[in-house]
Amino acid sequence: MSRLVAAYAISSMALCGVGHAATLEVEVRDSAGAPVADAAVYAMPATGPTETRGKVVEIQQIDREFVPYLTIVQTGTTATFPNRDPILHHVYSFSPAKSFEIKLYSGRSPSEVTFDKPGVVTLGCNIHDWMIGYVLIVSTPHFARTDATGAARLRELPAGSYEVQAWHPRQREAAAPQSVTLEAAASRPVAFTLDVAPRKAKYKPPLDRLKY
Amino acid sequence: MASRAEGGVLAKLNRLGTRIVLFFVALLVLVQGLGAFLVIQANAQIARQAMDQELEQGERVFKQLLAQNQARLEQGAGILSADFAFRQAIATNDTGTILSVLRNHGARVGANVMTLASLENVVRADTLDPARIGKTFAYPDLIHLAGIEGRASSIVIRDDKLYQLVVVPVLAPEPIAWVGLAFEVDDNLAKDLHQLTGLEVTFASRTDGPWRLHASTLATDLRVGLQGALTGDDGIGANLLDVGGEQYETRVVPLEARPDKRVAAILQKSLQVGLAPFHRISASFFWLTLAGLILLVGGSLVIAGGITRPVHRLAEAARRVQDGDYTRHVQVENRDEIGELAVSFNHMLDGIVSREKEILRLAYEDGLTGLPNRAMFYEQLEQATRLAKRGGHSVAVMLLDMDRFKAINDTLGHTVGDQALREVGDRVRKALRESDVVARLGGDEFAVLLATGGADAPKVVAEKIHKALEEPLVIDGQPMDMTASIGIARFGEHGEEADALLRAADVAMYEAKRTKSRFAIYDPSHDERRQEFLTLLGELRRAVEAGELVLHYQPKMSLAEDRVTSVEALVRWRHPKRGVVPPSDFIPFAEQTGYISAITRWVLARAIEQCGVWERTGLRIRMCVNVSARDLRLGDELVHAISSSLQAAELPAGMLCLEITESALMEDPRGAQATLRKLRELGVATSIDDYGTGYSSLAYIKQLAVNELKIDRAFVAGMEADQRNAAIVRSTIELGHNLGLSVVAEGVETDHELAELRRYGCDAAQGYLFARPMPAAALERWLSGARDKPPGQRADILGEV
Repeated sequence: MSRLVAAYAISSMALCGVGHAATLEVEVRDSAGAPVADAAVYAMPATGPTETRGKVVEIQQIDREFVPYLTIVQTGTTATFPNRDPILHHVYSFSPAKSFEIKLYSGRSPSEVTFDKPGVVTLGCNIHDWMIGYVLIVSTPHFARTDATGAARLRELPAGSYEVQAWHPRQREAAAPQSVTLEAAASRPVAFTLDVAPRKAKYKPPLDRLKY
Repeated sequence: MASRAEGGVLAKLNRLGTRIVLFFVALLVLVQGLGAFLVIQANAQIARQAMDQELEQGERVFKQLLAQNQARLEQGAGILSADFAFRQAIATNDTGTILSVLRNHGARVGANVMTLASLENVVRADTLDPARIGKTFAYPDLIHLAGIEGRASSIVIRDDKLYQLVVVPVLAPEPIAWVGLAFEVDDNLAKDLHQLTGLEVTFASRTDGPWRLHASTLATDLRVGLQGALTGDDGIGANLLDVGGEQYETRVVPLEARPDKRVAAILQKSLQVGLAPFHRISASFFWLTLAGLILLVGGSLVIAGGITRPVHRLAEAARRVQDGDYTRHVQVENRDEIGELAVSFNHMLDGIVSREKEILRLAYEDGLTGLPNRAMFYEQLEQATRLAKRGGHSVAVMLLDMDRFKAINDTLGHTVGDQALREVGDRVRKALRESDVVARLGGDEFAVLLATGGADAPKVVAEKIHKALEEPLVIDGQPMDMTASIGIARFGEHGEEADALLRAADVAMYEAKRTKSRFAIYDPSHDERRQEFLTLLGELRRAVEAGELVLHYQPKMSLAEDRVTSVEALVRWRHPKRGVVPPSDFIPFAEQTGYISAITRWVLARAIEQCGVWERTGLRIRMCVNVSARDLRLGDELVHAISSSLQAAELPAGMLCLEITESALMEDPRGAQATLRKLRELGVATSIDDYGTGYSSLAYIKQLAVNELKIDRAFVAGMEADQRNAAIVRSTIELGHNLGLSVVAEGVETDHELAELRRYGCDAAQGYLFARPMPAAALERWLSGARDKPPGQRADILGEV
C-alpha cells in the first residue's frame, strides 16, 4: 500500500507542477485522541467544483477484498476493477452516486466505470458478502487519505480559500467542514475530530477452502 | 330343617376340598386386593408424574421448536434480504417495484406480511396496509437490535393477530433499508407444535383488557372455555384448569411479558387423555385379577378334587376292608403322596389278605407236615358225617399212632423226630387217594378220613399204610424202623357223630397197641378194657406212695456151685381191691406213660436196701434189678441214683446187677453203651435180659460193657420140643463164654432142661424148677435149708447160704 501511495504522490506532483503552492497538514483523530486512519480529507476551492477527464484508477480485488478499502477520486475519474484472485468476482454498487454491476469475471475488468457524480459509492461483491469497498467522489483534485498516524497532507494547493472536509466510511457523525484561506507557499495545519465505528468483521471463509 | 341345612353347610365347610378352595381364594383376594390397591395408587402417582414429565418435556420441546422456528424464519429472512435481485429491486426506489418484490419474495419464505422501512425507520412499503407508508416503523427496537445483531425477531400483535416478526437489513453491501417479515402465529403453527409435543397448544395475548386467544389446537367451544379460565398476568392460577368441563394439566410459557403487552403459549394435556393409558392398565389389572380369581377357584376345585377324590376312595376302600372285603384294590391315579398312600394301602390289603390266608392255613394246617390239622380234620369229619347221615356214604376214621416214637424224640432229638413225622405224613399221604383226608392230630398221632369205599376199605387202607412204613426211614443217614398202631372206627356202626367216631378210633388204636397188632377195629369191649387200663394207670401213680408195690425175689442158681448166688428182684402190685396185679398188666403201661422211671427208682432203692440188710445178716446174695430202656436213657441220673442207694445201704457195687432187655439196648445203642460203661466203672454188674429176642449181634454185645447174658425163656422152654432152640441155647452159651460173659438161662422148668443146660456149660439157671419169686421173708426162710420149700422145688439143688 505504501508503494501505491508513493506512486500516487509522484503522479500528483507531476500533475501539479511546481509553483507557489501551499500545503495543508491535516490530522484526524477521534474524540479520545486516537489517530483515525483511512479517513478522506479534501479541500474544495472557493472557485467551485472541478472535474477531470481521462483519469483512471484501479480498484483491485485481492484475496477477496477490495484494495484499497477506500478510494478517493475526482469527479469524472474512471475506475477499473482488476481481479487478482483465482476466482470470479461480481462487483456491484447500488449507491445513488454510481449504480453499476460487473457480472462474474476474472482478470481484467470487462468494463470500466466512470464516476461522474460526486458522492459515496459503496462497492460490494455479489458472491462474497463480506467484501466491501468505498469510493469517495469529490469535485476537487485536492484530496488525501490519512495514514496510520491519522495524518494526511494536501500539497500543491494554489493560494486561495478552501473548505476542508474530513470523511470516513464508518463515521458516526459527519464532521463540520473547515474554511481555510491559504497564502502562497504556506503550510497550514488542520485538525479534525471524527468518531468512527469499528469495522465489523463479517464471516470470511478461509482461503484454502476456496482453492476448489 | 333349617338346622339340618346349616349342618350340611358346616359339613361342606369342613370338607378338605372346600377348605382348600376357600384358603386359596381368600389368599388370592387378599394378595390381589392389596396388589391392586398398591398398583392403582402407584399407577395414579406415576400417571401424574408422567403427565408432569410429559408437560415439562413438551414445554422444553415447544420452546426449542419455537426457537428453531424463529431461527428458521430469521435465516429465511436473511437469505431473502441478501438476494441480489431483491436488493436490486429495493435499490430502484420505485414503490411499485418494491411492493411487488416484497410480495414476491415474501411468498417465497411464507411470510404473511412484508414491510420495508428506510434506514430512518420510516415505512416505505407494506404488503398488507398501504396506509402505513410514510409512517414510523412500529418496532424501532427490532431495527435497533437488527443493526447490532444483523437480525431481530419478536412476537407482535398487529390488527388483533399474532405474528412472529423478523427484521433484517437490506445490505448493498451496507444496510440500505430494513425489511420486516411477519409470519402469522395461527392454528396451523399450533397444530404443528401439537404434533411434535403431544400437547394442546394455544397462543394468547393480553394488552389492556382480558386475555385473547389467537391460535389454538383446541376445539372452538373449548377455546371459549379456556379464554374464560385465563386470568391475571400469568394467565392461570393453578396448573389444573377446568376447560369446558374437562380437566387440563396446564403450563404457560410467556413469550412476551411486557406490562402493556403479554403474549403467552398455553400448553395443555387433558387429564382424561393423559391418564387413559393408566386407566387402561388399571382396567387390564382388574380383568387379570378377575380372570386369575376364576382360574384359581377352578384350579383349586380341580386340585382339591384331585386330593379329596382319592382320599374319598381310600376311605371307601378302608370301609370295605372293615366289612371284610379284601378283594378290591384302590385305583392309583397319580404318583403323588396320595398315590403312594393308595399304593401302600393296596400293599397293606395284600398283606392282610396273605396274613389272613396264612392264619387260616395255620388254623387248619399242621405246620410240621403241611397236612390238615386236628381242627380241619374235625370239620371235614363233621361234614362227612352230615353227608353220610343224609346220603348214606360210608365214612371211616382211622387213627395212627407211631410205636415207640417217644423214644426217637427223646434219644435222637426233636429235629430227627420232626423229620420222621414229616416222612411218615408224606408216606401216608402218598399211600392214600386224593379224596381221602390225612391229618396230623398232634404228637405222633395221625388220622385218616375215608369218605368212600366199602366196609373193608379201612382194612385195605391200614395194610397200605403199614406197607408204606415197612421201608425203614432214613434220617440223617440213620435208618430206623417205624411201625404204627392203627385204630379204625366206622360211621354208623361205631357212632354217628364226629366225636364218637374219633373216640372209638382212639380206643381201637390203643387196643391195637396193647395187643401189638397192626390195626384194630373198634369193638365196644375195648372200651371196658381201656377204662380199666386208664383206672389202673391212675392207681399206679398212687401205688408207690401208698406202699402198694412190693418186691418179690426169684433166686438164680449157680450151676457150677449148685447154690443160690443171686436173686432177681421183681415188682408186684398188691392192689387194695384187685389183689396182686402181675407186672405184665401194668409195666408196659408204666413204660408207655413214663411212670416206669419212678417205679424203677423205687425198685432199685428198695432192692439195694434189702440186699444191704441181707449182707449185714451174712446172707451174701447178688441183687438183680430190671432196668427199662427208658431208665437207661436217664444215664448219669440213673448212675447217680444207684451210687447213692448203694452208699446208703453200705453195699459194695458188685452186689448189684442190672438186667437190661436186649430190645432196650437196641433202641439207643450209643446211649446205652455210654451208660453201661459208667455203671461198670461204678462196679455194678450188668446183664442182658431176654437175649435172643432182639437182633443184636454178639459183636455188638461185645462192645457193650456187660457181664452176663440171659437167654430168653422162649428158647429154654422150646429146647425139649425143638432141637433148633437147643442149638440156639447151646451156641449162645458157647459164644457168651467166648466173649467172657457168664450165661444165665431163665424160665427153667424141667429137669431135662436143667440137665441140658448143665451139659452145655450154662453158668446159672433161674425158673420155677427152683423157686417162684417170693417176698424177702419167704426167701430167707426158703434159703435157710429148704424148710419152707415152695411146692415142686427140689431141696437138693438148693445151695448153701
